[in-house]
Amino acid sequence: MNCVLDGNCVKAFGKAIHALSRVGDELWLDPTVKGLALRSVNSAHSAYACFLFAPMFFHQYNLGSALEQGSETIKCKLVMKSVLPLFRCLTSIERNVKQCEISIGTPCDRVMIRFFCRHGITKTHSVSFQESEALQAVFASHLCPNVLKAPARLLCDMVRHFPVSQEEITLSMSPLKVSLRNYFEGAKDHLKTMYTEMSLHPDEFDYFQVGVDSGITFCLKELRGLLAFAESHCLPVSVHSGAAGRPVCFSVEDMVVEATVVLATLIDSESRGPSQPTETLAPPTPRCVDAAALPVGYCDAHSNIPHDTAAGTELVASSQGSPIINSALMQLLPQTDIPNELCVPDEACHSASTTPASTTICSLLFRALSSDQDDPGLPVLAGYSDGEENMEDDDYPRSPQL
Amino acid sequence: MPLSTQSQSDDEQYVLVASLDNARHLSNILKAITFKDHAIFTATPNGLKVTVEDSKCLQANAFIQAEIFQEYTIKEDLVGFQINLTVLLDCLNIFGGSTVPGVSTALRMCYRGYGYPLTLFLEEAGVVTVCKINTQEPEEPIDFEFCSSNVTNKVILQSESLKEAFSELDMTSEVLQITMSPSQPYFRLSTFGNSGNAHYDYSKDSDMMELFRCTKTQTNRYKMSLLKPSTKALALSCKVSVRTDGRGFLSLQYLVRNDDGQICFVEYYCCPDEEVEED
Repeated sequence: MNCVLDGNCVKAFGKAIHALSRVGDELWLDPTVKGLALRSVNSAHSAYACFLFAPMFFHQYNLGSALEQGSETIKCKLVMKSVLPLFRCLTSIERNVKQCEISIGTPCDRVMIRFFCRHGITKTHSVSFQESEALQAVFASHLCPNVLKAPARLLCDMVRHFPVSQEEITLSMSPLKVSLRNYFEGAKDHLKTMYTEMSLHPDEFDYFQVGVDSGITFCLKELRGLLAFAESHCLPVSVHSGAAGRPVCFSVEDMVVEATVVLATLIDSESRGPSQPTETLAPPTPRCVDAAALPVGYCDAHSNIPHDTAAGTELVASSQGSPIINSALMQLLPQTDIPNELCVPDEACHSASTTPASTTICSLLFRALSSDQDDPGLPVLAGYSDGEENMEDDDYPRSPQL
Repeated sequence: MPLSTQSQSDDEQYVLVASLDNARHLSNILKAITFKDHAIFTATPNGLKVTVEDSKCLQANAFIQAEIFQEYTIKEDLVGFQINLTVLLDCLNIFGGSTVPGVSTALRMCYRGYGYPLTLFLEEAGVVTVCKINTQEPEEPIDFEFCSSNVTNKVILQSESLKEAFSELDMTSEVLQITMSPSQPYFRLSTFGNSGNAHYDYSKDSDMMELFRCTKTQTNRYKMSLLKPSTKALALSCKVSVRTDGRGFLSLQYLVRNDDGQICFVEYYCCPDEEVEED
C-alpha cells in the first residue's frame, strides 16, 4: 500500500492520530478499497475508535499489487509511541510539510512515513509493525433508539465545563431535555467533590430523537480526541445510544473522512433517568460492584483501584465466575432488551444502602482477544468482522462495517 | 562604574584582565559547552578559548575574541588554567540573570597567574560582588589533528533547519549517523532507535544550504550521547558548518551572534563511533 497526502491533509491525519492516541496504545492500519482505516482500542476493550480516510482524501492512494493478485493487503499494528511523535507538533507540520507519503510492506516489516518539507528537506521514518488481523467493532448504530446530532462546537462547549481530570460523565436523555453531569463512584468524600450538571433543550440539537429515556455513563477521556478533531474540521457529531449498558457511538463524517468512537457504558440495574437527579448526585454507598469492572478501571486498565477502598463494598463474582481482579479481560454480561432485568451479579448483591444499584460494566468484546471462548451463548456486542460465528443473537444484526 | 575605579597598581599583579559590560556575552556562550564540570581556559592576545572535553572523544571550544571585551589586557603570550565551569556560570549569574532591558551585570575578570584563583568582580545596579574561584593545573586539550587540508566534505547550513531535526532526534538511538555525499542523499542525518529508523535529508539545492562542498561519499556514526550537548550551541547559533575529514572525524562550527551583534564561535570535535563501509 502506498499513499500520498498533501500538506493540509497531513495535519488532519495527525489530528486523527492524536485522537486515537487518547484511546489506545496501539494503532491498527488497515488499507482497504474504501480507504485507509486507522483504529485503536483501549486495553480494557471498552473504547474503540476508527478513522476512515477515503481514497479521495489522498493525493494518491494505491493499494498496490497485492490487491491485483487477489491477496489481502497487509494490515498492521503499530505501537502508538512510535507513530505519535512523528505527528506531535501539528503547527510545525502545517508550516513545513508539503507532502507526506506512507507505504506499508515495502520493504519487509516496516511502515515508511516520509515527509517532504520546505527548503528541500525530506524526513523519512521507518516504523516496525506487526501484521495483525483487522480490528473492528461492529456496532448497530441504526438500531439505537436515541440519536443526537449537534455541531462539534456545542459538544465541546458542554464537555469543557468538566475538568480534564474528570473521568466519566453521565449523559441523560429524555424527550424534554438532555443533561450532562459528572459521575462519581464509590464512597468518595462529597465535601471535596464539585458536582457539575448542565442541561440543554432538545432544540439546541440539529437532530434529536429519544426512544428510550436513559442515563448513560461513559469515559470522557477517550472522547475528547474525537471532539477536538471534529471541532477543528467544523463537523457535526452524531451520538447514537440506547439504554444504560449499551455502547454509545460518537461519529463524524464528511466527504473524505469518517470517524467513530464507540464507548462502553455502565449498566445500571435501575434506570436512573433525569427524573431522579437527586439520587444520582449522592454517591451510592455501599455499592456492590463487580470488582473486575470498576468504572474507572475500564477507562484506564492500568489504574489499579484497590478494591478494598470502597468501604463496605461487597465484592461480587462476575457471572462467569472469573477471578475478581481481572480488569484486562472484560467479561461480557448477558444483555437483554429489558432494562429492568437484573444481571446475575445484581441478584447476588444485597445492598443495604439507600441507593441500590449494582453497576457492572458492559464491554465491547473482541472475540479474538477474549479468553472466554467457551461461552458461545453470550451475544457479542462487537466482534471481529471476520468472525462469522460472532453474531448469534438476532437482536444484534450487523451494521455495515466500517 | 565602580569596577573601573580600581587603581592601576592593582592591575599590575594580574596577568589577565578582561571586562565586559554585559556578563551575559560570556555566560551564554559558556552555557553552550557546559556538559562537563571542568573547563580549560586558554587566553592569548587574540582572546579567550574555553575547552570542555568528554571521554577523549569529544571536545567543545568556545572562542571569545579580544574585541568582544570592553577591556582585555594580557601580560603573557599564553595564560592557561582549569576551572569548574558550573561554579563559574553560577557566579556570572549571581544576580539572578535579570531580563529587564538596560539592566545587565558588568564583569571584570582578573587572574594573577599560576596558583591563584580567578577573581570575578560582578556589578549590577550599584551592588558589587567579588567571587574567587580556585583554579587547577590546566590539562593539555586534546589535539584532534583536524586540519582544513584534510577536510573531505563540508556544508554550511542555516541553524534554523537543523534545530528542528535535532529536537526531533530519536534519543533511543545510540548513534547519530551522518552521511555526506556529492550525490543523493547529499546530507543525511540518521537514527536507529527502538521504534525504527529515521533519516533527515537536506538537498544540496536547499535554500537552507549556504555552502555545499562534498568530494566523496562518507557515512560516519557518532555516539548520540556525545553529540546531544551540541544542541545547546545549535540553539544559540545562526549558522553551522559541518565538516568531516578523511578519518571520519567530525567538526561542527557554530556562529553565534550576541545581543550586540558581535560574533563568537563555538566548535565541537567528535570521533567517529565505528568505521562504516564507505559506499
